Amino acid sequence: MKNNFMNIYQSVIRVLFALSILAATLSLGSCDNDDPTKEDAPELITTATLTFMPSGGGTAVVVTATDPDGDGVKDIEVDGPINLMKNKTYTLSLSLINGLASPTDEGYDITAEVEEESDEHLFFFAWTNEVFADPAGNGNVDNREDPLNYNDEDLGGLPLGLSTDWTSIATSRSGTFRVILKHQPDLKSATSSSDTGETDLDITFNINIE
Amino acid sequence: MVIKKAVVLLFLLCVQVVASAQNNCAIKFSGTVVTEKGEALAGASLGIGKTERGEVSDRNGKFLFSDLCPGEYEVSVQYLGYKTKRFRFTATKDTYEEFRLEPEITELNEVVIQDAVMNTEQAQNFTVLQEKQLAESAGKTLGESLKEITGVNSIQAGPGIFKPVIHGVHSQRVLILNYGIRQEGQQWGAEHAPEIDPFVASNIVVIKDASAIKYGTDALGGVIVVNPAPLPESAGLGGSINTIAQSNGRSGTISGLLEGGIKNQEGWGWRLQGTAKRAGDFSSPDYMLTNTGIKELNFSASTGYHKENAGVEVFFSHFQTELGILKGTAIGNLDDLVNAMEREPPQYTSGFSYGISEPRQEVSHNLLKLNGHIDTHTGDWRVQYGFQNNNRREYDIRMAGLSSIPAIDLVLNTHTLETEWESNNSEKHISGFGITGMLQENNNIPGTQRIPFIPDFNNLSAGLFGVSKLIFKKVVADFGARYDYRYYNVAGYDYKNTLYKSSLQFNNVSATAGATFSLRKQQSLSVNLSTSWRPPHVAELYSLGTHQSAAAIEYGLLLNDSTNEVMEIEDVPFQIEQALKWVSTYQRSGAKFDFEASAYVNYIFNYTYLRPTGITQNIRGTYPYFRYTQTDALFVGADLSATWRVSPMWRITPKATLLRASDVRHDDYLVNIPSNKFEVGLRYEDPTLFSLRNFYVESKVKWVAQQHRAPRTITPREFNDAILEDTDPLLGSSSNFDFMDAPDAYWLINVAMGVSADMGKARYDFRLAAENLLNTEYREYTNRFRYYADDLGTNFIFSIKCTF
Repeated sequence: MKNNFMNIYQSVIRVLFALSILAATLSLGSCDNDDPTKEDAPELITTATLTFMPSGGGTAVVVTATDPDGDGVKDIEVDGPINLMKNKTYTLSLSLINGLASPTDEGYDITAEVEEESDEHLFFFAWTNEVFADPAGNGNVDNREDPLNYNDEDLGGLPLGLSTDWTSIATSRSGTFRVILKHQPDLKSATSSSDTGETDLDITFNINIE
Repeated sequence: MVIKKAVVLLFLLCVQVVASAQNNCAIKFSGTVVTEKGEALAGASLGIGKTERGEVSDRNGKFLFSDLCPGEYEVSVQYLGYKTKRFRFTATKDTYEEFRLEPEITELNEVVIQDAVMNTEQAQNFTVLQEKQLAESAGKTLGESLKEITGVNSIQAGPGIFKPVIHGVHSQRVLILNYGIRQEGQQWGAEHAPEIDPFVASNIVVIKDASAIKYGTDALGGVIVVNPAPLPESAGLGGSINTIAQSNGRSGTISGLLEGGIKNQEGWGWRLQGTAKRAGDFSSPDYMLTNTGIKELNFSASTGYHKENAGVEVFFSHFQTELGILKGTAIGNLDDLVNAMEREPPQYTSGFSYGISEPRQEVSHNLLKLNGHIDTHTGDWRVQYGFQNNNRREYDIRMAGLSSIPAIDLVLNTHTLETEWESNNSEKHISGFGITGMLQENNNIPGTQRIPFIPDFNNLSAGLFGVSKLIFKKVVADFGARYDYRYYNVAGYDYKNTLYKSSLQFNNVSATAGATFSLRKQQSLSVNLSTSWRPPHVAELYSLGTHQSAAAIEYGLLLNDSTNEVMEIEDVPFQIEQALKWVSTYQRSGAKFDFEASAYVNYIFNYTYLRPTGITQNIRGTYPYFRYTQTDALFVGADLSATWRVSPMWRITPKATLLRASDVRHDDYLVNIPSNKFEVGLRYEDPTLFSLRNFYVESKVKWVAQQHRAPRTITPREFNDAILEDTDPLLGSSSNFDFMDAPDAYWLINVAMGVSADMGKARYDFRLAAENLLNTEYREYTNRFRYYADDLGTNFIFSIKCTF
């Protein structure tokens, strides 16, 4: 009886070893040296472009902020300044690009993604030294109620901010100009402020009115 | 209102039980504990009733319970490596009894039990959470249950995620053995809890020294051993059903177990076990913690065949959980963190819901284990094979419709094969050796649309160990040494989304030496000195990106400081992390008073941790970044516990966990080190109250000190102000920092009462408890969500366990 059992036992042990060697082999086999799949990274904004188009035609003023390394340690590179003429009205349009994707990829143009999710996104603006006659003040980052000229809105009739209108003051002056994009899923409302939600974009340029 | 009623009720009960305690309680119950061969067993623990009144047998195996009241008692006799013996008697006069314990050679989990004998009985510094204590924490996660033990804390991420911390270290520095198998999950993340259902365990052992070298590398802080009960070996059917309802989170848990043998097939046994849990949003004293629900479903099945000198077993378990992460922690840059920290209640706070939305985690873990042993005249041989499949998906609130796809999607498959020989021909000298191997594959599942946080890798590890134990009359000495080798093959994408590949190798030696001295008057003193090491985790080398709820970017050790390029390990000043740990424990047991004190010093060379390094600007705004760095760290502490049996029915149990940790190289403090905590328990128990059994009522008062040894604070607002002034608060000083001061000290009061009843063949245990009875507002330093919200308010727990 005991011998019989020992035999059973030994065969079980053998099977066990065989199984584990098999499993190990299978696993090694699956550790093939195929490279991991490359991911698109559609959330990553590497370039933000601000285009100020003068009303009634003329040369557009274009500035960009570029992130050379995404989540890397290098700071973003901001060009500019934004040189606007005195007492002139401009339409500002924003373009967001993921430079890691190729221009044909869906994830390349993030402006389109923001437009698609307009009910969850809202741009806020802030500037110093009252460089604009319209909107007056310092922008709606500190207070959502402050005036701003949004040209676009989401399906619920709330503003978005990919396109905005600006009229510069009549005197020469310098200051800064800040753009913030907030992601406010289920939070966006007529009163949701720049403190609400998660920040997708926050860049600051120097601005000159001359 | 409810609370008031409960307090009144408890008070009334107290009065009543005090009144009924005035009996003639002077009966003695004494005896000896011996082995099958009649040799005295010193240090066996005896429990009376299902109460916590306990004694320990002395050097001659003798024990004594004095001052017993007349009545029915059940005595349990336990000794690691031996079957627990239960005995019922009616106390009318002084009684003497001899208990013969059978060795647990047919234990299902004998590898662990044998190791426990090797590594805990002799090597000294361990604590066991017995079935009864586990029953009192039923419904909690593994990490939360373990907090009952002195010296054990947890790193927490909200109400559902607890990672055990032993003597100040956690994650990769604590080894968890689930049923004898090294738990292999994504342990690198502070918000990644161990994937184990605590209902599987009949006891959990925490080994607080690094002596358990048989289990492999990584045990720098200690080992957590999760032991299921032995499988039945003869025909019959048994089991239990445990249901737990909790008010906070409105949670329900049901766990069932069914086990038996096979008729006319002596030696065969089987067990089925399963747990289902559902919780909604938990709440702090003042507001809901929106999106903190839990869904959990676990099951396991095992069968085995045992003979006197051999056995085989198969075990399979499945663990699956979905966890909501407090929605208010979903933030982006530093500005968002400023807002989140200054806002209370957190953003998104709404009414109670069972719904779980982003951010959330889905985790599953499968374990298949095969093991066998055979005892021959040359020694005992054991072999075990384990396969683990771990899946982790983390979902964040993302733009571009990506919330519904995971931001992290990892599958980790691990094979382990271990074989071991141990001598069995001498009782004075036992030696053993073993060989272990591990093959592991970690893959990112494509489709996350994000550059993976950690790369894909293969890991091949092998180890070789020898242990020896010498048993003298009053001293037991242990020695062991181990060699390990690890090979990594890594492939991932860097910040530019370009491919990198690398191969790494590590190897090193661990060693341990220890002894336990039996002293006069049931005292003992144990000392252990051990050194252990761990290979770095791939996450520590290659991490890149932001973490759930962290508002910080993390960089691995191998990422270049200024270019972010992935470097070869030869090109960075990396050195293997190695700990030298000394632990000493003094124990004293007596009729009225038990006392245990452990002191330890753990010096960790090349301690790898996330060090705040600077701030970086990207398009989304400003982020602080943390880089994995190495330093030398020192952990010094003590764990104290005592039991004072004031009378046969009243017991006072003070406990203290003390710890000081420092960064030696930089003369600085480390972040997230648990603060000192103190607890006093007061318990009244009456085994025979109103013809019910095992009545008890207890209260525990806990005081958790403020962590005064915390790094400096730089608030996000200070960062922002500095940036406006074009300075960097981290320039000039690379000291550790935290975004928020360590929270204030806090008091918590927990109360509980329980009673058992026999109905037919079944036994029912009822328990009613209230945690944070006074609904105190507090924040715990080691809870990562303390930046965002208060900790939990009052929680009422009601549980019924039916055992048949």
